[in-house]
Amino acid sequence: MQPIIPDTLQGAVILSVIDFFLSFIIISGIGVVLAMFPLINRIGTTRVKAKPEVVRHAQVADAETEAHIAVIAAAVYATMGSAYRIVSIEPAHRHAEWLTEARLAHHTSHSPYTKH
Amino acid sequence: MFDQTLVFLQALLDQTGAVNITWQNLVMIAIGATMVYLAIIKHYEPLLLIGIGFSCIVANVPGPPDVPGGPAISALLYAVREGGLFHYAYEGVAMLIIPPLIFLGVGAMTDFGPMIANPKLVILGAGAHLGIFVALILAKLLGFTLSEAGAIGIIGGADGPMAIFVAVKLAPHLLGPISVAAYSYMALMPMIQPPVMRLLTTKAERQISMAQLRKVSKVEKIAFPIVIAIIVNLFFPPVAPLITMLMLGNLMKECGVTERLAKTAAGPFMNVIIIILTVAIGGTMAADKFLNLETLMIVVLGLIAFVFGTASGVLTAKIMNLFLKEKINPLIGSAGIASVPIAARVSHIVAHEENPNNYLIYHAMGPNLAGVFGTAISGGILLALLGVN
Repeated sequence: MQPIIPDTLQGAVILSVIDFFLSFIIISGIGVVLAMFPLINRIGTTRVKAKPEVVRHAQVADAETEAHIAVIAAAVYATMGSAYRIVSIEPAHRHAEWLTEARLAHHTSHSPYTKH
Repeated sequence: MFDQTLVFLQALLDQTGAVNITWQNLVMIAIGATMVYLAIIKHYEPLLLIGIGFSCIVANVPGPPDVPGGPAISALLYAVREGGLFHYAYEGVAMLIIPPLIFLGVGAMTDFGPMIANPKLVILGAGAHLGIFVALILAKLLGFTLSEAGAIGIIGGADGPMAIFVAVKLAPHLLGPISVAAYSYMALMPMIQPPVMRLLTTKAERQISMAQLRKVSKVEKIAFPIVIAIIVNLFFPPVAPLITMLMLGNLMKECGVTERLAKTAAGPFMNVIIIILTVAIGGTMAADKFLNLETLMIVVLGLIAFVFGTASGVLTAKIMNLFLKEKINPLIGSAGIASVPIAARVSHIVAHEENPNNYLIYHAMGPNLAGVFGTAISGGILLALLGVN
């Protein structure tokens, strides 16, 4: 295949301009394709009528919470050892997984006790 | 008797490399030692720098000459020459076997979720590639051919396997210095990028926190490698081998039924490839080959490409902020330079220094992963316009 661009300084500039702007257009195209990705989640799903919310008795909820705390404490002990203790448990924030994961990765990146 | 002893000692000395050491060797040994220091003390990409730095040191410790009066050959260079162990390692690089295998491992260890979740940030993957073209034009000005200039410019993509791939296609005789420059600067990005990033942003901009947009489903993550592999093979056949392997590795990770393969590709297999690659690259850093004007020009052009790439990424993010309702932290723009995940980590660390509650790594991974495709697209267009299949 013959080169389309002449081997000159002008050719280098033309090549750079074409390549830079074409890259923008093509990667924008990939962005458009990715923007349509949520549509994939609709494949095979059917509309389900929302179930009425079940309101639990407060005592049952308390008992469950205590059981959860025990399980979480055991899990922390099993995975991280006795050097750690739970100081607070809060409701999980929606859409905060990245923040949580990043914070964990940041604070344990050089820990000799972390398995990488 | 005394004279005879002296002759014996001289003969013994001649069998060693001690008499053949030059100041150029000492310079290169110092460079190699600095790489090892940065890896161990500063934690700058130790997986790359330990192998490259150590091999650079050993490649510059001269042995006896091959023939009397000939050039001194180090033990490592013996191994790099035809028939030696690392000759085949280097051939693996030169024959484009190693780069696709690296991408297989990278794909198996990468979560493309951040890129899928925030598609508008993929623009940064193209914006951070101005460095490629600045280096290309400067290389042409310095007298390189257009093919050589293209191969040098692609260093600015900060994507080691892609730099090797394009260099082999466009200027195979420059593979050694180009791969050394690409991998060395990738490892030194924590030193190169932050000053440029700080220079082009205000403190307030560096402190911008970003919210996670949405959770990416498993189905989307499985569809992603298949869709991208089809697009790249359809429109960019010159660079398809690399991206195809990247996507295969990612599909192994995400599909959920090949955990063993994904673990092997991302773990032991990748480690073997890194050892072979780093020693093969470091082994080419012998003073006689490295300390010449052409190589030094390539090294300087590579640095210019990285600086301009970082700057253009940050500036693209700032331009995007003019139009976006929810502002993005411009520091993630520099992550659009491809090196995964080094550039994203640098963005995260600089932002975290400014705001200890800001953890940008996932946001920076979006443009960072887009940068891989940006480099592949730029490289593909370059190869097509220069008439290379």
